Amino acid sequence: MKKKTWGIMFATLMAFSLVLAGCGSNNSNSGSGSSKTLKVWFMGTSDTVTPITKMYEEQNPGVKVEVQAIPWDSAHDKLLTAVASQNGPDVVQMGTTWVPEFAAAGALADLAPYIEKYPNLKAENFYDGAVQTGQYDGKTVGIPWYVETRALFYRSDLLADVGYPEGPKTWDELKAASQKLVAKGGAGHYGITIDSKDQITAAIFAWQNGIDFIDDQGQPHFNDPKYVEAINYLKSFYDEKLTPSGTDLDTVAAFKDGTIPMFISGPWMIQTIKDKDPEIDGKWTVTTLPAKENNQSAIGGADLSIFNYSKNKDEAAKFISFMSDKEAQLKYYETSNSLPALKTAWDDQAFQDPMIAAFGKQLETSRPAPQIKEWETIAQSVISSFEQITIGGADTQTEMNKLNDKAKEILAK
Amino acid sequence: MMREFAKQWNKNKYPYMFIAPAVLLLVVFSIIPIVIALVISFTNMDLVGLADYSNIRGVGFDNYIRIFKDPVFLKALFNTFIYVIVGVPLVVICAMAVALLLNYGTSWLFKTFRVIYYMPSITNIVAVAVVWGYLYNGSYGLFNYMLSWFGIPAQQWLQDPTLAKFSLILLALWKAIGLNMIIFLAALQGIPRSYYEAAEIDGATGWKKLRYITVPLLSFATFFVTITTLIGWIQFFEEPFVMTKGGPLNATMSLALFIYNNGFKLSNFGYAASGSFVLFVIIILATIVQFAVRKKEVEY
Repeated sequence: MKKKTWGIMFATLMAFSLVLAGCGSNNSNSGSGSSKTLKVWFMGTSDTVTPITKMYEEQNPGVKVEVQAIPWDSAHDKLLTAVASQNGPDVVQMGTTWVPEFAAAGALADLAPYIEKYPNLKAENFYDGAVQTGQYDGKTVGIPWYVETRALFYRSDLLADVGYPEGPKTWDELKAASQKLVAKGGAGHYGITIDSKDQITAAIFAWQNGIDFIDDQGQPHFNDPKYVEAINYLKSFYDEKLTPSGTDLDTVAAFKDGTIPMFISGPWMIQTIKDKDPEIDGKWTVTTLPAKENNQSAIGGADLSIFNYSKNKDEAAKFISFMSDKEAQLKYYETSNSLPALKTAWDDQAFQDPMIAAFGKQLETSRPAPQIKEWETIAQSVISSFEQITIGGADTQTEMNKLNDKAKEILAK
Repeated sequence: MMREFAKQWNKNKYPYMFIAPAVLLLVVFSIIPIVIALVISFTNMDLVGLADYSNIRGVGFDNYIRIFKDPVFLKALFNTFIYVIVGVPLVVICAMAVALLLNYGTSWLFKTFRVIYYMPSITNIVAVAVVWGYLYNGSYGLFNYMLSWFGIPAQQWLQDPTLAKFSLILLALWKAIGLNMIIFLAALQGIPRSYYEAAEIDGATGWKKLRYITVPLLSFATFFVTITTLIGWIQFFEEPFVMTKGGPLNATMSLALFIYNNGFKLSNFGYAASGSFVLFVIIILATIVQFAVRKKEVEY
């Protein structure tokens, strides 16, 4: 009897310890042995990158690239966990806005020694704005992988009807065109959507108005008259009902019915509109953003970084170098429609398309979001103050004073 | 002393062994994390601190002082209060009502409806959010379409700060009824028929049977449902997270979402941990109050 009880106890404990061991399965097999496994984390879906990693495996026998695709929504949590456990991939794709935060935490390796070794990684190969996204505190921690920027999508037929066949070129024209479109379309029609949930929207208009809202010394200028003017310009679209205040209007459908004839978005929307709105083929196009003092847009996309806890840094650098080849960059454009960060890739036939070319042109006047680790926190405040002004009806100057104080407090910490 | 302990241990070792696996799991996955979170809540831990523990500094009660000055936190506290006050009674009453109605018969129709009412609670919240997102859509949602039959203007279900809160409550109610209904159904079936027969002989009407037999005998189930629902609503998270992200103007921000945002989006772990302790204390207090006001068990 007694023996039997002990046996059951033992079996139960063993079962539990197996379960526990299963939870914490470690993956430290990378870095040992002759056949190497390179762990790579990509955001999005894996079918866009596996064709490229296959190419790498063919060129480098004995190396196995293990791709893990992580949905963008959960990627940040996943990276946090990796930093906490100091156990993660060798190469990681970083959303450009995350680079400062993770670089500050020391999670991204300094790439300087590898840039000397692999000429592919040199800064001059890539768009300036993209290179800046991989810099933190004077160090290079990310190599541009793909880029995106925001440009203006518009219904060329509807805009031609109100006198802007080329699309609006200035802020004043954008406003006037919207007013005319709404007057012509009647109830339920808008001029343009302003994505108030996107942290970069307000930033773009502020830059265009010539204000650097966080200067080189790290001082915020959200209550500067120029920033306030940019916000008031956007606010006027809400006040005059030129933009929908709800966020649940489906852009793709509204673009098709012409109820929203203009919107600002990234290159991924080209394919979406082509697929979902074939009815309006030839009746829409893309152009650079309307200008105030300039027509700057925001550059984003992703960089490739080496995780500081990787034991395979040399192999990882070699892989990143391969990913910066023209061939790999073009392949990725083919599989994912993401625009290459490599400048020479743009000579390719594929980029002669006028819509893509518009993005290419916009990239020349695009800059990254402030490269400070506090930006994500400040951006949340920017979004909520913008909401307070446009939906909550707060006074712009008062709200911006508050925002500026908040930003100062965040930056001072 | 030692011998005394050994003797005691020897006498009781089997019960200890039997609860050991449960206690072990509880300690590893609940108690230790709670203690760690308590420690973290007194530090300035962020992503930099997470990567290298030497960067963590103790800040005393600073996080707790700051959090009670944070307008977003206070808003979340208020919203959570509204969710609980409105949501808990609604769930308990609706689940009980549905269970009573389903208990009237055993034909295939009643069985089918049991499944229909239970379905929402096993459906993935993200799928639910997508479908309800369409129902609530301001321009082509079903709800606004139905309102248009009666000439009522379209509502901004998820964009209007006041309405959004109640839109989420409605969604959560729909989702919560199923599970609680099952608990009530099980309790209903445990009430002996003889009580009703005796009451009928005494000439009790349907309403009186409900009032004096069914509801009192459901008191334990009601207590259980109330406590679990209350805790669930205090930790209200999934619905605002997938439907509104706490907007518009933080009108749907709940305490749990506030903690998530600070902890995992902004990496302010210390600050978020202090928020989670405030939440912890609230839940403990609410449960103690519940136990205190609970009436004596009804037995016939």
